[in-house]
Amino acid sequence: MSFLSKLLFKNKTQEIGAAGIGSILIKGEELKRSINGVFGRSLFVRLVDSGSCNACENELAALSNPYYDLERFGIKFVASPKHADVLIITGCVTRNMLNPMLKTYENIPSPKFVITAGDCPETGGPFKDSYSVCGPVSKYLNVALHINGCPPEPETIISGFLKFMDMLKAS
Amino acid sequence: MNKIMLNKHNIGSSDFINSADNLKASGKYLLGIAASDERTLNSKFNVKYFFGGGGGIEEYCVDADESFQSMSKICPAAKMYEREIYDLFGLLPSGHPDLRPLMLYPENWDSSVHPLRKDYNNLIPDMKKYGEYKFKEILGEGIFEVLVGPVHAGIIEPGHFRFSLAGEPVLQLEIRHFWKHRGIEKVCEGKDFKETLDIISKISGDNNVNIAIGYLEAAESILNIQITERAEYIRVILAELERIWNYVRDVAWIFMDIGFALPAQNLFALQEEFMRLNKNLSGHRFLFNSLTVGGVNLDLDSAKLKAIQEAVEKVENIIKDCEEFILNSSTVLDRLEFTGKINHKTAEELSLCGISARASGLPRDSRIEFPYLIYDKLNLKPVLHDGGDVFARTVLRIKEIYVSKKIIEGLLFNLPEGDIAVACGNKPEAYKYAIGNSETSRGNAFFYIMADDNGKIFRLKYIDPSFRIWPSIQYGVLGNIIADFPLINKSLNLSYSGNDM
Repeated sequence: MSFLSKLLFKNKTQEIGAAGIGSILIKGEELKRSINGVFGRSLFVRLVDSGSCNACENELAALSNPYYDLERFGIKFVASPKHADVLIITGCVTRNMLNPMLKTYENIPSPKFVITAGDCPETGGPFKDSYSVCGPVSKYLNVALHINGCPPEPETIISGFLKFMDMLKAS
Repeated sequence: MNKIMLNKHNIGSSDFINSADNLKASGKYLLGIAASDERTLNSKFNVKYFFGGGGGIEEYCVDADESFQSMSKICPAAKMYEREIYDLFGLLPSGHPDLRPLMLYPENWDSSVHPLRKDYNNLIPDMKKYGEYKFKEILGEGIFEVLVGPVHAGIIEPGHFRFSLAGEPVLQLEIRHFWKHRGIEKVCEGKDFKETLDIISKISGDNNVNIAIGYLEAAESILNIQITERAEYIRVILAELERIWNYVRDVAWIFMDIGFALPAQNLFALQEEFMRLNKNLSGHRFLFNSLTVGGVNLDLDSAKLKAIQEAVEKVENIIKDCEEFILNSSTVLDRLEFTGKINHKTAEELSLCGISARASGLPRDSRIEFPYLIYDKLNLKPVLHDGGDVFARTVLRIKEIYVSKKIIEGLLFNLPEGDIAVACGNKPEAYKYAIGNSETSRGNAFFYIMADDNGKIFRLKYIDPSFRIWPSIQYGVLGNIIADFPLINKSLNLSYSGNDM
């Protein structure tokens, strides 16, 4: 049992917290206050990958690792669109994924918002002229915010959420 | 420069099918099939079959008019390639048992349009329903279906899985993929070799370095470029770093799926440290754009070398504890052992590669079989397991992390002096083609590239390890309970984007 006991007695996340990720904590706390102020509860997010190279998914998944731990700031990735407030879309929108993407959007209860992450959903990236790509996302859905990057880094995504909350507060 | 021995054979379609049995009997296995529309050159389509297993690679080139003979009944691994050719080129593999469309969905694509033909006029059919895709059905009392996807519950890529069950055990699984089909092979046509490299990095982002190495093996051999020894060393170091962080993440997901969040989160934290190391080395968390035609874009100074050394030492320490924990915990073993077993015979028939093949006892590792860069000097031995189950694949990943760590340490402080990139003004010979391959964390990545008379890409065929391995899950889950499917899926950890292309 050495592995487990080592982990239990030497709390790694604390060690990580001390290793200087101040900016994420500051942004995160601000995000939490903002979300509580506008929604009065957590922000639920549903992801649809419409044809990415999986780097964006890796970065979105990284938001749950102990360095970022996004849930502590009140943002949760949910399994069903019926639970979601926000739809995050990655990828260049392939013909085959268009319908599933739109259906996911339809199933989110209003008010709902679309955030696109990565360069592909905004421009189509290098695949924009392909026979099987029919993006960008803005052709089909109203995009509230775009988060740039190929792929956007976890901290950029957190900043993106902050910007999104500011937009909501202003409107 | 490419070191693979490529033996070429031109052969008639029926002669080839007749000799396919002998090929298999002699221990050769199918690496991939690449069709090409060469009607502008010699008024023929051709279909090239690539076989590995005898030291070098055997190429069998068969001419085709509008059809060619299917070899799926002799070699089940050929099934998917032939369906792909039928979709994209409209060449009929006669005798094929299953000709349902693969990537061009009848729900939105007119089946008479074949985009990879050279006379395809770039007209895109209207977005409307042209037909229906028929799933396989198992009928009988008490049999029910569970449909999953394409949009899944977690942060994962899209794919559709259809289970037929009677009670708990899975009777049949049918996978429908290619939701993310981006038409990359067509996008590359007409681009130059550098532009293509950027597109290639986005086939499967988490394995972009290793995939790019496979591409560059072929591209540099067409362009007649010999990269410097220093660049070769740096490429290998980056490739092995990528392999390590992929394996760390894979093992973390295994823990996650059996409900052990604590070790999983520790490994995720370790993965994050590697992403930060990547950023420190190249300015990008996935090492995008760190390779270039003719060399590499980044040099490793002593500070960077030290950072790499510290990282691989740390990973070894944590993974050692992790291995001990897996081997000594009955609850972990209970979930991993005998789950998702892929038999040796199945692995052989489906021409698996990478971890999935090695976990079923097949010694397939491109770094050893078809060595590239400096891998032939490293004296690698394939790390094997004969379990074929989730446990075997998990333990192999851990053992491979040690191997990669050893490779990196051997190279770190023996870096030869020299430039990191050479000039590449060479114009390729018209219609020259080459193959290239590399071992990604999932298995063999295979490229077939032909240049045109302007120094641009005429045809690029890429075969992702995931494309070969996905069908094997359909066998691995049989008899397992549906709750174990995520675990089996994660133990193979295949790429959807690499498969769908």
